[in-house]
Amino acid sequence: MWHELAAALQETLYMVTVSTVFSVLSGFALAVVMVLTCARGLRPNAAVYATLDLLVNLLRSFPFIILMIAIIPLTRFVAGTSIGSTASIVPLTIAATPFAARIMEGSLMEVDAGVVEAARSFGARDLRIVFGVMVPEAMPSIVLNIAVVAINLLGCSAMAGAVGGGGLGDLAVKYGYNRFQTDVMAYSVLALVAVVQVIQGVGTAIYRRMR
Amino acid sequence: MIEADGISKRFGEQEVLRDVSFSVGPGDIFGIVGCSGAGKSTLLRCLNGLEAYDGGSVRVMGREVASMTERELRALRREMGMIFQNFNLMERKNVEENIAWPLEVWKTPRNEIVRRVGDLLDLVGLAEKRTEKIRNLSGGQKQRVGIARALALNPKILLCDEATSALDPKTTLSILELLRDINRRFTVTVLLVTHQMEAVKTACHRVLLLDQGRVTGSGRTEDLFLAPPASLKKLVRDEYAVVPTGINIRLMFPREIARESIITGMARELGIDFSVIGGRLERYRDDILGFLIINVRREDFDRVQRYLGEHRLFWEAPDDVA
Repeated sequence: MWHELAAALQETLYMVTVSTVFSVLSGFALAVVMVLTCARGLRPNAAVYATLDLLVNLLRSFPFIILMIAIIPLTRFVAGTSIGSTASIVPLTIAATPFAARIMEGSLMEVDAGVVEAARSFGARDLRIVFGVMVPEAMPSIVLNIAVVAINLLGCSAMAGAVGGGGLGDLAVKYGYNRFQTDVMAYSVLALVAVVQVIQGVGTAIYRRMR
Repeated sequence: MIEADGISKRFGEQEVLRDVSFSVGPGDIFGIVGCSGAGKSTLLRCLNGLEAYDGGSVRVMGREVASMTERELRALRREMGMIFQNFNLMERKNVEENIAWPLEVWKTPRNEIVRRVGDLLDLVGLAEKRTEKIRNLSGGQKQRVGIARALALNPKILLCDEATSALDPKTTLSILELLRDINRRFTVTVLLVTHQMEAVKTACHRVLLLDQGRVTGSGRTEDLFLAPPASLKKLVRDEYAVVPTGINIRLMFPREIARESIITGMARELGIDFSVIGGRLERYRDDILGFLIINVRREDFDRVQRYLGEHRLFWEAPDDVA
């Protein structure tokens, strides 16, 4: 059992880490464009903002399990298969990107408008303001939000696991639920709890150091 | 230095600035005064293009702000430093990093930045705090960092947006003193937006009064405060306006001359009694001016008026006596 548990934990960590990296990167790019183009932004553009805003809302309205099934053709195209940990990274990334975009947009919007104005007052360029002022000032809050995204993905990965993605979710359902091995179920849950604690702990620690 | 001619600006339906005209000469400390919502801060932002104006013209150092390209506008802002009520410093950078920031934006060589930041730290008296985090500073120290940052690019004009409004009276004075010092030593033209009369009196050579986006008065500071127009009185609203009976007369002492003997002389000469209601000495930059409010009986008013006229004292009756 310990062997299976270790393998499952490894699969879970793999899925969560890779999909967190991808969704944070693409979510960050989306967030930057949204913050630039929103009505109070440095380059207001109602059309671009409204499109992205709609896209983000649209993707976020899918429950993960449905999204995962709906995009199976895409998953197969990207990963070559629709089963296994690597394949499940595709739906995980697509599900978490709009979420990451939305909360990082929030982090960037919270940056004191006065500091942005100060940068404009001595002639800084818009991109310089975004990457030299808004992103660094929002960084502590972005770090906390990355932890939120990762924990959210951990939850989704258990779901992905249950339908063939492997990982702790898979283990818990297969052994703990279907074969009534309560101890496996309990250890899977404990492992999930531990992973959440570690992610949040690291996030909070980095946040404290940055502030 | 700055010529504004008939600026107007609206936010949607609301007119924020209506036909505002003024001019600021090089080396002036120019006050823009009004209560909150009068349009002062918006006016200030029209000068460096942070806000666009809808009508009229603003010429800074001979060039129309509205017709500038983005690139020209950034070059203009390089010549115009700005400080803010809430300091607007980067919390995650320390003191010297904040001051160096504009220099980095304009790609100043590293050794030049180090030298310039050192000079500025000395100028604002924060040399010992150079690596301190912003959140460990007091309000006055934060504003000093703001001033150093605004001066980093050697601007010709310094725009101050309620720069002392978040500070206590003593710190306010020290910041104003610093601004005057900078104005004198580097002949930087200073525009001071404020609602604090003390700030105006301490620092400004000339003043523009703004009320609901309209100019309601302008002139030299001393002239305005010695014979305040109605719009200024509305702002000052001193505590001596209460009239028991009779008529209050406010006497102004433009220079430190023994005017008091004239007042006591008046009592002897006219054979009248009056009561002293209040008075104060105030600093106007380096001058000390004073006023005294006396209360005379209604029937004596004409004679008092004539006497004060003969002795060429500035005076006014704060209550409406036609």
